[in-house]
Amino acid sequence: MTTAGFIIKNALRNKRRLFLSVLSAAASLFLLVTLMVVLRELTKPPADGDSSLRVCVRNKVSLAATLPQRQRAEIEKVPGVVVCSPFVWFGGKFKEDEQMIFGTIACDPEKLPGLLQEIKYDPEEYAAFLKDRTTCLVGADALASEKFKQLGLKVGSKFTVMSGIYPCSLELKIIGTYRGTIDDRNIFFHHKYLDEALGDWGLTGMWWIRVDSAQSMGAVNTAIEAAFANSANEVRAESERAFQMSFVSMWGGIKDLIGGISILVIFTLFLVTASTMSMAIRERFRELGILKALGYQRRELFAFILAESFGLSALGAIIGAGGAWALYTFADMKKASSGFFVSFQVTPEMLGLAALIACVLGVLSSLAPAIAVSRMSVVQALKTLD
Amino acid sequence: MTPIVAIRDLSKVYERGGTSVAALDHVSLDIAQGEFLSLMGPSGSGKSTLLHIIAGIDRPTGGTCRVGKVTVTELTESELADWRNQNVGFVFQSFNLLPVLSAYENVELPLLLMNLSGTKRRQLVNTALELVGLSDRAHHLPKQMSGGQEQRVAIARAIVTDPSLIVADEPTGNLDSHSADEVLQILQTLSSKEIGKTVIMVTHDPRAAGYGSRTVHLEKGRLKEE
Repeated sequence: MTTAGFIIKNALRNKRRLFLSVLSAAASLFLLVTLMVVLRELTKPPADGDSSLRVCVRNKVSLAATLPQRQRAEIEKVPGVVVCSPFVWFGGKFKEDEQMIFGTIACDPEKLPGLLQEIKYDPEEYAAFLKDRTTCLVGADALASEKFKQLGLKVGSKFTVMSGIYPCSLELKIIGTYRGTIDDRNIFFHHKYLDEALGDWGLTGMWWIRVDSAQSMGAVNTAIEAAFANSANEVRAESERAFQMSFVSMWGGIKDLIGGISILVIFTLFLVTASTMSMAIRERFRELGILKALGYQRRELFAFILAESFGLSALGAIIGAGGAWALYTFADMKKASSGFFVSFQVTPEMLGLAALIACVLGVLSSLAPAIAVSRMSVVQALKTLD
Repeated sequence: MTPIVAIRDLSKVYERGGTSVAALDHVSLDIAQGEFLSLMGPSGSGKSTLLHIIAGIDRPTGGTCRVGKVTVTELTESELADWRNQNVGFVFQSFNLLPVLSAYENVELPLLLMNLSGTKRRQLVNTALELVGLSDRAHHLPKQMSGGQEQRVAIARAIVTDPSLIVADEPTGNLDSHSADEVLQILQTLSSKEIGKTVIMVTHDPRAAGYGSRTVHLEKGRLKEE
């Protein structure tokens, strides 16, 4: 028999309790990892490699304020700007629906492939898209969604979208699909079509730009902002990442809520482990006294208890955090979340943090019983009833 | 002959609710090597306390206890643990085997503290189990054995480190007379000239005490030798 074998045999003496304790720890850690992923997905939007080359230009006053289309020529003159397209979040929804869960975006189809270089499409479909301003290109995930299936929408179908923002509705024909972007759930249509529907609007929501290199982004942003400084339509130019992050502040309350729940989960995990270890040690008080009589030192008994508690927590971490990793890695979380989460990634840092929390709590929760055992006298332990 | 256990003026006073209770009152006693000493006395007479102090699991409030060349009462907790491991074998009334370990593993427990190879440990455990006649039960759990067999495993555990002193606190208290006789005979054998262990046994039972080479009585913490 080895010392490790002895510790394992002790831990396994009450298999049902061990099973339930490990399961509780695993469930807590699974929940903790899930909360960390949710928090990350809410606060750090997914980005592809090209996002570092894209710039969003919006009205300096507010995102809701529009910009004149005449700005485009000025922006295209700025050194470093490769592509510039208008960008309008149409906020489209189907007739009686509350809200469409897919983005409906008005853009310049000529410039779209230049902006989203990772986008993949059928060239024939795209050529047809360019020719007909009443058509739209639908993301493959959107077309495969339950909503589209329910409405019987496929390539060639026509549908009407009403805007939740602009006073118009548009009839669009699905001309083709695209895939390969970080979010294949959007619907791109012609900005010109929107312009006409709004009676030669002459405005746009914002500008979407691609720069020639990441190094030139700072200079491009400064130049664009300077170009419209002191005009009636001052702009703010920022990287796509920074633009996305500006939405994060809207999740502030949820961040706090998730943080609070995470702390509760950790505290619960602590209680579960501490309770298990206290019961386990109380049951074995006499036996630990025997070990002391046989010559085992305080530090050895202390180590036995710490090792058992640590092992219990570590096993919970492997099952809970590992299970979360396996589930979120191999399951289609985009589908499971009805498209709410584009990605649901468990990072190595999260696994490490979960394991660290489990192990620290495992050690902490065993401290009180371990100290009690190390301080007990053999005679006192022998008097303990079995 | 120099005694292996020399107790001088040993006292133990418990403080209970502001009252002092003397469990041992200036006890002096010598025990020779190879002696099988029976400690008798009514409940509360201090016999178990005396045994615990000799075995180094309790401390006196006065006096000294020397075992061999070591003054046990002067050792630190850590030194006492090492000393117990190498010099004292314990046999308890309720056997006190670890229920999750087999007979073999229970006997092996004290050896895990010694820097011994697996082969050496195996050899010592097998010898100890053979000595108590339980080689065939080595891989049985305590719950699969009778009380007498459990106590014999406890004796094997007590002798596996080859200690000079074996302390037994009511070792036959939970046994039928047949099993009790078997256990007492083993203790008697251990204190024989061939093996030479010193055995100190606390008992209520005069018949059990009869197996010893000497009996001392304690009454109200004082020694009353026969």
